[in-house]
Amino acid sequence: MELFGIWVAALLTLCIYSFLYQDNPFYRFAEHLFVGISVGYGIVLSIHQGLVPFALKPLWAALTGESLSGLIKLIPIGVGLLFFARLSPQHVWLIRYPIAILIGFGAGIAIPNVLRANIFEQTRGTIEPFAAMHAGTLSGFGVFEAILMVAGVVCTLTYFFFSVEHRGPVKWLSKVGIAFLMIGFGSAFGNTVMGRVALLIQRVDFLLSDWLNLIS
Amino acid sequence: MKRQVPLILCFAFGIVMILTQFSPHSFSQGIYEEVISWTLIISPFALVLATATLIQTHVARIQRRTDHWQYSFVVFVGLITMVVIGVPFGPQHQAFEWLYTNIQVPMDATMFSLLAFFIASAAFRAFRARTFEASLLLITALIVMMGNVPVGDLIWNTVLGWLPLEDGASKARQWILNNPNLSARRGIILGVSLGVISQSIRIILGIERSYLGGGD
Repeated sequence: MELFGIWVAALLTLCIYSFLYQDNPFYRFAEHLFVGISVGYGIVLSIHQGLVPFALKPLWAALTGESLSGLIKLIPIGVGLLFFARLSPQHVWLIRYPIAILIGFGAGIAIPNVLRANIFEQTRGTIEPFAAMHAGTLSGFGVFEAILMVAGVVCTLTYFFFSVEHRGPVKWLSKVGIAFLMIGFGSAFGNTVMGRVALLIQRVDFLLSDWLNLIS
Repeated sequence: MKRQVPLILCFAFGIVMILTQFSPHSFSQGIYEEVISWTLIISPFALVLATATLIQTHVARIQRRTDHWQYSFVVFVGLITMVVIGVPFGPQHQAFEWLYTNIQVPMDATMFSLLAFFIASAAFRAFRARTFEASLLLITALIVMMGNVPVGDLIWNTVLGWLPLEDGASKARQWILNNPNLSARRGIILGVSLGVISQSIRIILGIERSYLGGGD
């Protein structure tokens, strides 16, 4: 079964790489199979990691008399079922209920978490080296890095600050901000390319070693 | 009923999620965990509805005999196989794991590795060091890519071996990632986070209502 799995994986890999030549039936077969398999995988995981432990198990415990508190899970199940109102044109407005709950939940959970992780922590990380500078434990190059960090953050934010016209000093600050952004985008691009190349090497390694046994 | 109740639900769930995160009391934490479990119960229904829409789309493709309609059957085969094995037996089942390991994982990695070719060809066509900013992006990407692979340090040590810095390519990459790149990212993160918070407040207060859709 393991050998069969290797052959299936290898043939599907080749089917997808055949797209590099041009669009063809082998690629289309693999592409459509990938869509079906991925959606099926997502459904199975969401049912077994969401619906079963958080709804069906407590509900079953309530039905068997183990713990009646599980009956409250009927409410989110009912709300979730309202999603299927989408299939009936007359009752399509009912879909707003579960969407409103999920959106409200997402907005509510985002505010404290984004404040904590993305604003307080990032600001702290930006100005923290100045504490070491004040204590005299930072090297000369460390001082340069700390100033560079603050300058980069301020200039980048200035570039995105549209409440004032970008003229005079603001224009120059935003120009420096663009330079920092370009370095950021260049780094992201470089990392993305290398990530994809690593995946390519891994797939070629699989084909040559696991499938063809050309590399031991 | 059609618009006011969803707005009230959104407000209530948003406020509850904010308040419970600021209170460590066991009652508050109980509500917090209960609401999280509710959303984990509701979300799979959205996924099932999305799957129903996918099935509708492919059934329509088959009925209308549009281009490559035959491949819609391949989507169904993949989807049904995963669901029939995964839903009753769980994701730990041997057959489900086999499908995941030998079909989904290789195809996922291969699809993403395909991007290596397309990013490279797109970059070759689009990247021109015509301005200072474009040159900055190009040079940064080059340093990050070279610093990611051992050959980068080999070239550095061979060509720039007279410099007092050994393995300079990987060190330069790390310095770029930790300093100018991080400061640009922090600027972006701070800006985006302020946007997320203001948008979340607008949603909770019912000022932003686009998620309700059109109609009455």
